[in-house]
Amino acid sequence: MFSVKMALQSILREKWINFLTMATLGVLLFIFFAILLVLYNVERLTSKIPSKLSSLVVLKDDASKEEIAAVESEAKRSKLVKTVDFISKEAAMEDLKKVFKSDDFILKGFGENPLFNSFEIKFKSDEDVKTSDIKALISKLKTHRAVDDVEFGQAQMESLSALKHGVRTIGVTLSTTFACAVVFISYTTVKILFYRRKEEIEIYKLLGATRGFIRLPFFLEGAIVGFCGGLSGAVMLQVLNKITLSKLTAEIPLFAVVNIPFTVFLLFPVIGLMLGLGGAVLAVGRVRY
Amino acid sequence: MIVLDKASKYYDAQAALKNVSFSIKKGELAFVTGPSGAGKTTLFKLLYLAETPDDGTITIAGFNTSNLKEATIPFLRRNIGVVFQDFKLLNNKTVFDNIALTLRIRGIMERETKERVHSVLKLVNLRHKSDKYPATLSGGEQQRITLARAIVGEPTVMLADEPTGNLDAENEDNIMKIFKYINNKGTTILIATHNRSLFTNTGKRVFYLDEGTLAKEEIA
Repeated sequence: MFSVKMALQSILREKWINFLTMATLGVLLFIFFAILLVLYNVERLTSKIPSKLSSLVVLKDDASKEEIAAVESEAKRSKLVKTVDFISKEAAMEDLKKVFKSDDFILKGFGENPLFNSFEIKFKSDEDVKTSDIKALISKLKTHRAVDDVEFGQAQMESLSALKHGVRTIGVTLSTTFACAVVFISYTTVKILFYRRKEEIEIYKLLGATRGFIRLPFFLEGAIVGFCGGLSGAVMLQVLNKITLSKLTAEIPLFAVVNIPFTVFLLFPVIGLMLGLGGAVLAVGRVRY
Repeated sequence: MIVLDKASKYYDAQAALKNVSFSIKKGELAFVTGPSGAGKTTLFKLLYLAETPDDGTITIAGFNTSNLKEATIPFLRRNIGVVFQDFKLLNNKTVFDNIALTLRIRGIMERETKERVHSVLKLVNLRHKSDKYPATLSGGEQQRITLARAIVGEPTVMLADEPTGNLDAENEDNIMKIFKYINNKGTTILIATHNRSLFTNTGKRVFYLDEGTLAKEEIA
């Protein structure tokens, strides 16, 4: 209780340095979370795309029922696959006729049905579905005698994967940098306060204060400053959410897909507290007698 | 209670204290004297564990100060009350809070802290200054607060480094009366002073330091 009182007294006594630290931490945490939200939204939106991509496994005309069944079971066994649908050459022709409608005389010119039996494979939308895994599955399917060819949106999937990878790398680098900046600012503030109170700390030591007694108020101060910085960051994000994003969505409908989960607002003060505390722990270090 | 056995301390190969040996019994009041630079302050730093001896040993209340673990030091210091010449009071805290700090550090409840602080403030005759800040008080009053802060923890050993250094005769007399009072209650006291009038005709032991060595020991 006495440590809490001392921490609060110190915050009030050094109100300007603490206020500026809280504001700076707020801005940094706001940027930190903004980057994480960009990452989150990119991941969220792109994770749905693989399910919209499908592969077409073209079967040979002379493939036996057993050979076709083997291909089907191989595809179904894979963890990447969501559905496997058999499309007979007759069904494919019917679909084609629907496409050509009144111009189906073109198809009649072929005489015999020129299409092939095939499987349409749809993939899961999990984050774990990687292009390389899909490629590996396709190579496996191609080894079956019944398979003539496999078509899939390789180019689209590779660009998507590169985009996700790029955004993730930039996001992680930037968010790590900002998290380090938060720790550094908290460290600097507590270090300054620690040096300002060096004489006081020496007196505490002479009176028999333990390490815990000396350090606890500084830890609490770092944690409180971090917590308040986090709260101010949450307020900034709420302003962005309510004012800026609403206006942007009205102008550019694409922004409607941006989602800010409520948990983020709760995480702000928690992360702020943890980073503030981390900085304080580093700043105070080991108290020597 | 305090035993020095050939204790030495060097700063940059210069001996501040050299082969000093003496012992002080439990409940004794003794004095250390000598000219400036004789080693009195170094001796006190060794006694209140701000420094450790480079050679020899110092034992306080049964603890060898050279072998202490860092974590034990605060607990041993709680048995040693120190009165500094420069007071070492916290100017951003009231008289009450300066004295109460000794007890708050030990985790003593606020109610008991209040009672004990008021009791020592009465002893040093400064109860009416409880809410004042040290900077607003005279040197004599500040020294009495330092003394009150040392007494409130009920230490077994009390060390006072030039406790009457800058005080007039009346304040000096007041401070010495308090020392005698707590000594009569059983606290072992060692006072460092260059003021001979403090120990003359007291019948107490006096250790004379000169250039870091114990020049002589006599009954005043």
